[in-house]
Amino acid sequence: MISQKTVVVNKSGLHLRPAADLSKLASSMSSEITIVAGEKRVNPKSVLILMSAAITKGTEIEIICEGENEAEDLKRLVEAIESGLGEGTE
Amino acid sequence: MERIKVLQTASKGYAKGPVYLVKRRELIIPRRTIAAEEAEEEIKRYKASVNTAKEQLEKISGDSEIFEAYIQLVQDEALMAGVISKIKGGNNAEAAVEDTADEFIQMFDSMEDAYMKERAADLKDIKKRLLYALAGITENPFQGLKVPSVIVAEELTPSDTADMDFENVLGFLTEIGGVTSHVSIIAKGRGIPCLTGVKGICGRVKDGMMAAMDAGEGEIFLEPTEAELFEFAQKKCRFEEQEQMMEVESKKPSETKDGHKFMLCANVGNIEDIKEALKSQMEGIGLFRSEFVYMMKKDDFPTEEEQFQIYKEAVLLTKERELTIRTLDIGGDKGLDYYTFEKEENPFLGCRAVRLCLKMPEMFKNQLRALLRASVYGNIRIMYPMLISVEELERANELLLECKRELEEKKIPYRADIEVGMMIETPASVLMADEFAKRVDFFSIGTNDLTQYLLAVDRGNEAIAGAYDSFHPAVLRAVRHVIRCAHAHGIKAGMCGEFASNEKASAILLGMGLDEFSMSAGSIKAVKYRLRNISFKEAEELAEKVLGASSAKEVKELI
Repeated sequence: MISQKTVVVNKSGLHLRPAADLSKLASSMSSEITIVAGEKRVNPKSVLILMSAAITKGTEIEIICEGENEAEDLKRLVEAIESGLGEGTE
Repeated sequence: MERIKVLQTASKGYAKGPVYLVKRRELIIPRRTIAAEEAEEEIKRYKASVNTAKEQLEKISGDSEIFEAYIQLVQDEALMAGVISKIKGGNNAEAAVEDTADEFIQMFDSMEDAYMKERAADLKDIKKRLLYALAGITENPFQGLKVPSVIVAEELTPSDTADMDFENVLGFLTEIGGVTSHVSIIAKGRGIPCLTGVKGICGRVKDGMMAAMDAGEGEIFLEPTEAELFEFAQKKCRFEEQEQMMEVESKKPSETKDGHKFMLCANVGNIEDIKEALKSQMEGIGLFRSEFVYMMKKDDFPTEEEQFQIYKEAVLLTKERELTIRTLDIGGDKGLDYYTFEKEENPFLGCRAVRLCLKMPEMFKNQLRALLRASVYGNIRIMYPMLISVEELERANELLLECKRELEEKKIPYRADIEVGMMIETPASVLMADEFAKRVDFFSIGTNDLTQYLLAVDRGNEAIAGAYDSFHPAVLRAVRHVIRCAHAHGIKAGMCGEFASNEKASAILLGMGLDEFSMSAGSIKAVKYRLRNISFKEAEELAEKVLGASSAKEVKELI
């Protein structure tokens, strides 16, 4: 199990479309993934659950991956979030 | 075996083929408890419904980000886990989907964040899609239209025809709607036979039943016999011969026997229509309804860039021919998915068309800038709808000027000599026509609305449908007044209402001096044939006589 902290940078936070993008990416991975935001621990493979955490811009989150491919998966998730999930970082 | 007579023909022609019945059933959700051994089968049904919904969404998503996200939602892991556990707990798929979705809907609904609250609506849409799929009803009523068919529906709305695959449309039969209804206009434009006002037709046909329709005579044959089919084929043949003759004639120039020139243009509602119109002998686009640009968007008003791309595509098709684009004419009977109109007692006398645009100047300017930018590729003419006062015109022109300045600042080119004109469709604009004529480059008379406003007759109200008559002398005299004012100030007068293509009206209009006739592309050759076979002198005399008539009845006796 490995984990890494990052900050949500895209402008509308993890709203519907960016959440859907992140969820699509997470679903394509073999690792068990958990996103920790404050006291909330959510499974990003579900858009609904991910959105229910209402993660806004500027929130620090921790991504935890566990599985055979965990290093690669974690790297790709962090990259996606840091690049603004297709939404830009303004 | 059954023969139905219809009085109104919306668009002439013959069609024969299987019926495609447009179903819009209310959804009843069959909830029940299931035995443990049924669970596997229900899970399978549920998974199939997820696939169906996903396929539908993929088909309509295009570039829409919302639908892209819906595709994720519909196959969401948590939703799926919830539904499957409920099925295993003894619920059928429908009940499990409904309850699980409702739990999430409630969760979002109870959230503080306004954005999150709205997501409840997305889930409701997802729930509906899944339930429709489980019931075997396709959400898009035209999803099942796979073979060329005669479309039978209670009513067809603009969004229906927007989603339709016209390759598979042989003809239209609708219960509701008159000759000026949306479906009639679409049908005429594409030369598709159409009969409207066919009461009770939906109850008399079944999907796949053979139907033959003669939209010229207003006859429908359901499951026709051999003899009826023979009769049908003969009539069809005669009709096609006549069409052929007109086709030949239509390639000749637009002028009367004595050499008076006129111009025939097409009314279009989207890019496809323009492509269709280009196959006819039209000399320009007299009316391009820009509403479709707004209707095809589901989440927000189209941006300047999105509009620019569409107008550019249009003008690259029409090239040096005139392309008259009417600015947004929404409100009244046409709505938008993403904008809720205030409830109005009298929407036709309400905040519509240019009135709405002037209230939302930034939205309006997006359209104006897009039009200006596209103007460099050809001959775009901007046309404002529904004006009643010089102030409105001046306000719209001020915004247009602001747009020009903004483009200049950004060094974006536009055509400085772009023509700006207006629709004449309100009684006020008729009476003020001389003032307007000093301030615009062209007039286009919209007879559908003008007749309705001038006579104070709702054209959709069947109880007074007989009173709606563009041959009313009030309408004819108004038209003549407008043409005279236009000519006195050296501008052109056109007409883009259905009246311009009316079999009996076009000669009168020519005689009054109308310069440009704009109509559904399908009508052009018939009008050309008629106008080429009279002299301008005859037309003038006829117009003079008709304008002296004191009633619509008298007018009709003269023609």
